[in-house]
Order: sequence, then structure tokens, then C-alpha cells
Amino acid sequence: MASSSGAGTMSSSSGLTFKLHPLVIVNISDHYTRLMAQAAATGSAGIPPPLRVFGCVIGVQAGRNVEIFNSFELKHDAATDSLDRPFLETKQEQYKKVFPKYDVLGWYSIGADIRESDMVIHKALMDINESPVYLLLNPAINPARKELPLSIYESELHVIDGVPSLIFVKASYTIETVEAERISVDHVAHIKPSDGSSAATQLAAHLTGMHSAIKMLHSRIKVLHHLLAAIQKGDAPPEHALLRQVSSLVRRLPAIDSPKFQDDFLMEYNDTLLMTYLATITKCSNTMNEFVEKFTTAYDKQSRRGGRTVFV
Amino acid sequence: MSKRKKKSEQREAMDASSSIARQSWELENNIVPMEHAASGSSSPSRLGTSSSAPAAAAVDSCDSIYAYDEAAQSAIQQQKPWTRDPHYFKNVKISALALLKMVVHARSGGTLEVMGIMQGKIEGDTFIVMDAFALPVEGTETRVNAQADAYEYMVDYVQTNKQIGRLENVVGWYHSHPGYGCWLSGIDVTTQVLNQQYQEPFLAVVIDPTRTVSAGKVEIGAFRTYPQGYKPPDEPASEYQTIPLNKIEDFGVHCKQYYPLDITYFKSSLDSHLLDLLWNKYWLNTLSSSPLLGSRDYVAGQISDLAEKLEQTETQLAHSGRMGGFFMPSQKKKEVSLFVETKKRLESTIYVCFYQEESQLAKITKDSSKITVEQVHGLMSQVIKDILFNSVTPVATAPSFDSSGPEPMAEA
Repeated sequence: MASSSGAGTMSSSSGLTFKLHPLVIVNISDHYTRLMAQAAATGSAGIPPPLRVFGCVIGVQAGRNVEIFNSFELKHDAATDSLDRPFLETKQEQYKKVFPKYDVLGWYSIGADIRESDMVIHKALMDINESPVYLLLNPAINPARKELPLSIYESELHVIDGVPSLIFVKASYTIETVEAERISVDHVAHIKPSDGSSAATQLAAHLTGMHSAIKMLHSRIKVLHHLLAAIQKGDAPPEHALLRQVSSLVRRLPAIDSPKFQDDFLMEYNDTLLMTYLATITKCSNTMNEFVEKFTTAYDKQSRRGGRTVFV
Repeated sequence: MSKRKKKSEQREAMDASSSIARQSWELENNIVPMEHAASGSSSPSRLGTSSSAPAAAAVDSCDSIYAYDEAAQSAIQQQKPWTRDPHYFKNVKISALALLKMVVHARSGGTLEVMGIMQGKIEGDTFIVMDAFALPVEGTETRVNAQADAYEYMVDYVQTNKQIGRLENVVGWYHSHPGYGCWLSGIDVTTQVLNQQYQEPFLAVVIDPTRTVSAGKVEIGAFRTYPQGYKPPDEPASEYQTIPLNKIEDFGVHCKQYYPLDITYFKSSLDSHLLDLLWNKYWLNTLSSSPLLGSRDYVAGQISDLAEKLEQTETQLAHSGRMGGFFMPSQKKKEVSLFVETKKRLESTIYVCFYQEESQLAKITKDSSKITVEQVHGLMSQVIKDILFNSVTPVATAPSFDSSGPEPMAEA
């Protein structure tokens, strides 16, 4: 879904699906920012040379599904151009204590393109995980780019010029979030007013979120629409694979329409309506209560304490 | 060839709509980016917010907040300005990374409480939390010494981190209260008082992952305790939150022993950039999230809790009803005696301010409204999705592209 053109490598054919969590991305970005800021603070004036940072990614590999959950930093020895092994092991142990289910899945680094030296590091990690992944993040902020500057590489054994060698091949990935992750990423990305406790602001926030998401959907569909119109007119050559996909997409609507779904949906609807009703009744009784109280306080003529005048 | 065309069209379409979306977002939410770079994509606006909502951080220098100044920090440690004023610290700034880590960790605990440590620094009266990490202890409510057990891990971790450039010190701890709100329990207060004696400056943060998911916004609170014997000046009531019945006593007893701090968030320029791009990918998840299905248990629990509270109120009102024509909704003893006294005087101001504490029934009303509002939000999403994807009938004739929903495709 995210594979962009260029980079001069072939795409992966290993059939593994990669799922990436936003936490990893924020982790790597923070690592980089931190080191840059420190270098800028202590170092010389002017733009410090782009540092390369290194780290390890951990997650779960279940069959063909590789899900990358978290990451941590690693020490890199510039002289020998290798990762500090004992350090890695210490960190691994620490993370195992807190997240026992996560294994080391690979490593990450910063840069625009892969380098020769990367393969060396990659091979060194192969004894922990027989097929590690390599995440490369491009820290250059380029407002024109609309895609995540993050690429995942796998290593594959290819025969080039008669010599079997390991080369990096690009793999595609999807972004996966847990609900809580999505909410906090959303929160930080848009910095919603977290103090909006009034119902109006909450409602506005909720609906605006939905609205943006739907808008994205709409824009993508529009693009497809334009393309298909162009094909119909004859401006663009018809591409059968694409047309097949679009046709299957259209045929998938209505998304789910069985009577059972309708039942469940209406039941949920009714439940919510019932809740609203009950809440309104509660509110009503509260208001009544307060009113009656004020009334009795003001106009109570039958108080047992006797002798109370009417409060006018 | 057509793929490239499609991609460029895609890029154009995304360009237009996503930049519009982002700009309207930034205007609405007063986003102040961390850098001055006037790139065409961001529109920095420095409007003051009308409400007291914590606005985005307005740190001027580009990402310099990430640099750790050892000398300045030790100078602050020497001065210890917080010893003079128990209410010294007022604000907390949490980095995007720390927030994400804490929420994910809290959620991963499910219904068990989890805890961890925060690292960062001090700046004036503000705690700045740069990072957080989890501790391998099950922080149940009854273990006061949970931190003592994890001390070794913590020291080890901090040492290892120093080697890779994470130079900040430990500035606090966080733990989760899954489903019952952000406040400090009795044990928490004791632990924190101890921490503030020996590990100053220290901050306590509480996260509720269940309510976060159910309400769709992050439930987090930052607190500092008052030292023993310190009587705080009367503060305006903080934002009301629902506390389940079985915890409400614990909450009530200790709620005056600590005060909340204001939380704001910050992120680096690279973070903003990446998060923006990330939106292009996970708008899918926003649309497909169904908070109703996920929080069924929680909602059921809330409703039953509400029912109990209602019953309690009923019996209470029934009792006070016998006391002669007036009933005292408030539970506070001093209000009761004040009320009785004024009643005796016969012409005194009846409307003595005995509604400082809301009546039980009013609280219940608030709780019920809150639950209902969340439910309605969830239902709205479901209904929208239903309309979008279900209200279609397959057309037998030529493929009509507008059949993807009643949304006017002719918006272009």
C-alpha cells in the first residue's frame, strides 16, 4: 500500500505482511530529534551533520504476519561499524520483562537511502532473527511529499552475476493501531482541546474527526471516478486489473445487509434511545426535586417546627 | 503510464483536500508548530484560546526542548524552589512520545493496573516529561512498595539509556486506573507523599485507558500532593468526573491532599510532519473504529453503578424526608448543621450557600448524561457508516459510480 517508486530495489516477494504501529514511528523520530538537539546545543554553530541513529524493533511474528509494536535505541560503534552486542542483549532483557511477548524483529536507522554498511549490520542481526527487517526513516522534512518517508526492507538471497548474495528488497506495510493508540495519536496530531468537557465541544470534536475521515474516503473515490471517466472517454488506456478491482469494490456495496445485521443494528439503536430516555428522566426528576425543595422552603406552611411565617 | 497518472491525480486530490483539512484543523485548534519555517503547508496561528483549554505548546526555539542541559538542571536541583511553596509546580508538558507510550502501556494492561516511570526535566514551574517507560511490576492498589521492587529495574534502565543519549532524570511515575477515573487513591497518596519527600521533584500521573477508548479522548491527570499537615487554600472545584461507588469513599477521603496540574503536549517538527503523513494512512482506522462494540462491558458496569447510586440516593432522601418537610440533599455534615441553624432563626437567609456541593441527585444526573452522550456518539458513527455503505441497491444496468452513497459526488 505504501511502496513508492524509485530506490532501485526490487519489491519483496516473500509474502510476509508487515504491520507497523505509530508508536515505532514516533519513537524513531524522537530518538533522532533528541540527538540532533543535543548535538546542536553542545556542538559547533551551523547545521550539524546528519547523524545516523540506530535501534532495534520488536514485535510479534505470527506466521506470515509481522507486526511491529515497539522499538528501542542501540549503541553504534562508528569505528567498526557494528552494533554494540552486549548493549543489545541488556536492552532486550529489559524489554522482555515488561513485554514478554515481543521478540526482536529487526533494526532501524535514519537516512535517505540504504548503504553498503547496512548489509553488514543486517547480517550481524541474523543470528537473533533469521530474517530481520530493516526500517529506514528519512528525516528530511519535505512538505511536498505526501507519503510516509519510511521504508521497510527485507533481505533476500538473489543470484546476481552467478554469485548468490544478499540484497535488500523493499516490502510494503500497513499502519495498524489499537484504539487507544489511535486516540492518543489523534490527540497529539491535532491537539484537540482536551478541556472541552461541555457536550458541545465533545460532539464537535467527534463529528469533525468522522468528517475528516469521510472526506479522505471521498477524495480517494473521486480520484477513481476521474480515472474511470477518463478511461470511458478514451483518454487513458483501459487497465484490466485495475478495472477488475474497481468493479469488485463497487459490487461489495451494500457492505452488510443481512436481516440479522438489521436486527442487531436496530437493537443497538433502541438501546441507545432507551439510555437517552432514562437519562432525560433522571435529569427531569432532578430538576423537579430541586424545584420542590425550593418551593417547600419558600412556601412551607405545615412545618412541624411551627410558627414559620411565609417567606415572601 | 496510467499508474503514474493515477498517482499524480491522487497526489493532487490528496494535496488539495488534505492541506485544506490540515489548515482548517490548525485554525480551529490553534496549533502552534514548533518551528518558524514558513513552509506552505502549515499555517501557524497564535490566537489566544477563548476557553481555558490547554493550547498547543508555543515553544519558540525549534526543537531545543529536546536538548538536555545538565548544568541548568543541577542548578535547579541546588536551589530547590519547591521547598518554599507546596503549590509551586503548576504545569506539565508531556511529549508526544511519552503520551503514546503511557497510553499504549496502560491499555495493554487490560483491567489490571500498570505502572511506569517518566523521565524529563524541570523548567520554572513546569515539569517537562520527555519519555516514559514501563516497569515490570503488577502495580495493584494494595502494594505500597511496588516501586521499591522495581527500583533495580529502573536504575538499570536509566543507566542503559544514558549511554544512548537519553540523559534526562526520572521526574515522576505514572500508573493506570482502568475504568475508574484519574485521581489518587489512598495508597497512591501515601506513595506520592513519600516520593515527594525523598525524590523531589516528583510527579504523579494517572491514566484511564478504558475511559479513553470509550470517550474518544485521552483521560489523563497529573497530581502533586501537599505535605502532611498543610492546609490548602480553598480551590475552585476541579472538573467533575464519575467515580464508581466502591471507590468513592477512597476518593473522597483523600481528594483534598493533592492538587491537579495543567497538562499540555508538545511534539517536535519531525513528529508533526510524520503525524500529518500518518493521518493519510490511518483515517481508515478512524472510520472503522466502533467504540460501541468495544466498550460494552464498561458501559454496562457504569449503568449498574449508576443504578446503585440512585438507590442509595433514594433511601437517603426517604430518611431525610421524615425530618419534617425539608430534605437535605447534601451529604456534608457542616452544611446540615448550618442549614438547621438558619432554619431555627426563622427569618434568616434560607438560601445559605448549601449548594456548594451538588446534591447527590445532580451528580447522578451528570453521570447519566455523560454515559449517554458517549453512547450517542458511538451510535452516530455507526449510523453514518450505515448510510455510507449500506444504503445502496445494486444497479443492474451500466456501472454507476455514484452508487457509493448519497454523498454528492458532484461536489467537484
